[in-house]
Amino acid sequence: MSEKKSNCKDVMQHICESLGEDLNSERCIAIKHHLDDCPNCKTYFKTVELTIDYYKKYEVQLPEGAHERLISFLNLNDCEE
Amino acid sequence: MDEKILIDEAKQGSRKALSQLVRLHEQTIYNFSFKICRDREKAENIMQETFYSFVKSIHQFDGNSKLSTWLYRIVANHCMMAARKMKNYHFVSLENDEDDLFEDRYTADWSRLPDKFTEDNELKNILDEAISKLSPDYRVVFLLRDVEGLSTEETAQITELSIPAVKSRLHRARAFLRKELNEAFAV
Repeated sequence: MSEKKSNCKDVMQHICESLGEDLNSERCIAIKHHLDDCPNCKTYFKTVELTIDYYKKYEVQLPEGAHERLISFLNLNDCEE
Repeated sequence: MDEKILIDEAKQGSRKALSQLVRLHEQTIYNFSFKICRDREKAENIMQETFYSFVKSIHQFDGNSKLSTWLYRIVANHCMMAARKMKNYHFVSLENDEDDLFEDRYTADWSRLPDKFTEDNELKNILDEAISKLSPDYRVVFLLRDVEGLSTEETAQITELSIPAVKSRLHRARAFLRKELNEAFAV
């Protein structure tokens, strides 16, 4: 099986599981036929993927002194190496 | 040192092991807390309350889940409690008008974004603004499941929601954020 087909099946499985449908159900087959030929859906899935990716990459570093304040708050100052 | 050994030592009363566990997880917990409450001072307070709860109840940790999952449960609870105090703040309702989430009159060309947005923090501002409009009930599901990579089952356990409810909130949160970003990128 080609990689593309495998990916499509994964996507289908995911969508159909979310809908509580099995892969061979009438509804899933109709979705597959729609996805095969729908640029809007392709764009939608791509941009959802990018949205998640942007939020994943958005890291906020612990502010300066926050570790020391935390350890002090927990009364663990004497345990620091 | 292996985390499991540290946990065992902490459960037996080792304060040094507790301190090391705090150091191992503080960045993750602060980051998560900030992403929910969008305020550095509040995020730090929530992180402190989370680890205070952790220290007080480490003896109850049964090891059936990862320590990080247990910490996510504590921090998510603290975040939700803080969010409930903001009940007068207006968040976007995603309960109705689902069609509106999926209809775009225009889809921006996202492939051109890196040059345009990533340099002067503009992308961060857009991400902040979009997620700030999302109710914390939806925000926490999106962050646990999509950003932190927890399973649907773990997310359901932490948020005390049913699995279908997690899936539904995740689906709406993704669609809402995607739509907000699309509108911002189209300007």
